[in-house]
Amino acid sequence: MRNRPFVEKLGYVPRSEVFMLAAADQKQFMSASLVWKVLSYFGGLYEKTTRRIYTPPDYEGMKSMIQSAIKLDPYNLDAYYFAQAVLVWDMKQVSAANELLEYGMKYRFWDWYLPFFAGFNAGYFLKDYETAAKYYKRVGDLTGNELSIKLAGRYMYEAGQTDMAIAYLTAMEQGAQNSAIKNSFKIRLDAFKGVKLIESARDEYVKKSGKKPASVDMLLKKGFLKELPVDPYGGTFYLDEKGHVRSTSKFAFAGQKQ
Amino acid sequence: MFGIAAITIKGVFRDKVFRGILMTALAFFVIPSISSLSMRQVTALSMTLSLSLISFILLLLSIFLGGTSLWKDMDRRYTISVLSLPVTRTSYVIGKFLGLAGFTLLTTLLLGAVAFVVIWYVANVYPPDSPIALVNFLFAVIFDAQKYILLIACAFLFSTVSTSFFLPIFGSISIFFVGSATQQVYDYVTSPAGDAFSPLFHKVVTLLYYVLPNFSVFDLKVNAIYGVALSLSGLSLVSGYFLIYTALLLTISSIIFSRREIQ
Repeated sequence: MRNRPFVEKLGYVPRSEVFMLAAADQKQFMSASLVWKVLSYFGGLYEKTTRRIYTPPDYEGMKSMIQSAIKLDPYNLDAYYFAQAVLVWDMKQVSAANELLEYGMKYRFWDWYLPFFAGFNAGYFLKDYETAAKYYKRVGDLTGNELSIKLAGRYMYEAGQTDMAIAYLTAMEQGAQNSAIKNSFKIRLDAFKGVKLIESARDEYVKKSGKKPASVDMLLKKGFLKELPVDPYGGTFYLDEKGHVRSTSKFAFAGQKQ
Repeated sequence: MFGIAAITIKGVFRDKVFRGILMTALAFFVIPSISSLSMRQVTALSMTLSLSLISFILLLLSIFLGGTSLWKDMDRRYTISVLSLPVTRTSYVIGKFLGLAGFTLLTTLLLGAVAFVVIWYVANVYPPDSPIALVNFLFAVIFDAQKYILLIACAFLFSTVSTSFFLPIFGSISIFFVGSATQQVYDYVTSPAGDAFSPLFHKVVTLLYYVLPNFSVFDLKVNAIYGVALSLSGLSLVSGYFLIYTALLLTISSIIFSRREIQ
């Protein structure tokens, strides 16, 4: 029982309407405080996972606080950024994240980050390329960024999912100023770079031999891979029956325990 | 009248409450380190914290100084001494108000200057994606001062009808929260979601919306923090609203104070 994992709670979160009325002229401050509270909690969880201590996170509490923070201050970029990091990657609530991002785009109409996040979510997770292209077009219009313009067109259909994830995670990691968030993106980025290396080796093998490789070890033995990439989440890379690169960690520190 | 205003300002600077509240301003020094914890908007967070701190200090000052100024004078029998001079009661009330309003404006400008230094420092250490909206910041600070001067006028009205400091202080706190929420409540009730309410309720809400002070219109924090464009016509309307509403409150306060029995 001593080692039984416990759910560390964020505490009671009143409805956003209550916050709105009670905050008076301190709405932006209250919003920033809620984001800070969630971020501190997340930072604590991250610190535990790096020490291989697994605590079930209070995802619903985090989601509720972030939603309240956005209601209080719909311009708060930190809130959207955190929602993108947690709702999408950890909670797999991609549609909920995109609803928040859509809401934010009405206010932060000049900001390319929000359609960039939403475009990635639509293309990578939801496989809704038409919607993704719409978002990436908006990013391209706002920034003139070449990748976004390409992603908005046919490239969206041709691009490998891993390339898209690497482009996205690189931008996220570079822009992050909080060390816990930055490290969490860096680890994920390193994992995807490992996946990309194996995918390139697999494609090269298929091109030369005309058949799928049986395993990652085979790619290593036959010289298509110079060395075995390390999964920063502590797992081992393998090829599933369809030839997709997977990891035993499921790209999460808790993955191996599940 | 202006003599009373000058004496009021001097009195406030000597007031222990003022000194205590001003200690809160020391929090400006920790804003740069707290702002650095932001994920993507360090400068914006420093402005959020600075403007919020200014608002909080001004709220404390306007409630505790505005709510107790008249009462203290009457309690110490200072009012009787002053009114024995050739000073009308109206001049006395308006002079006291002008003193506190002038003091609020001075404090706001001082706090605004300190806040600007803090934000400028943060922006140099963590350069923001877009430049600081300095004009918007200036307007946000000035309109904050207008809001709290209006709150002082409300506190004066409560002081003229009260024999203790309870009503001026708790009345001001209540009117501040109610006045900050009237716009939201009115918007909600007049939206499609408000169709569920009875026509009588709609009328009551509309009446309260027009009668009670609307403090939310003075809040320009979003414009300052995120550089959202300001509407000059909107700002003029808000300033006009401030002048008319304050004048009305002072007129009523003067009438009540002129008829009041002072011992």
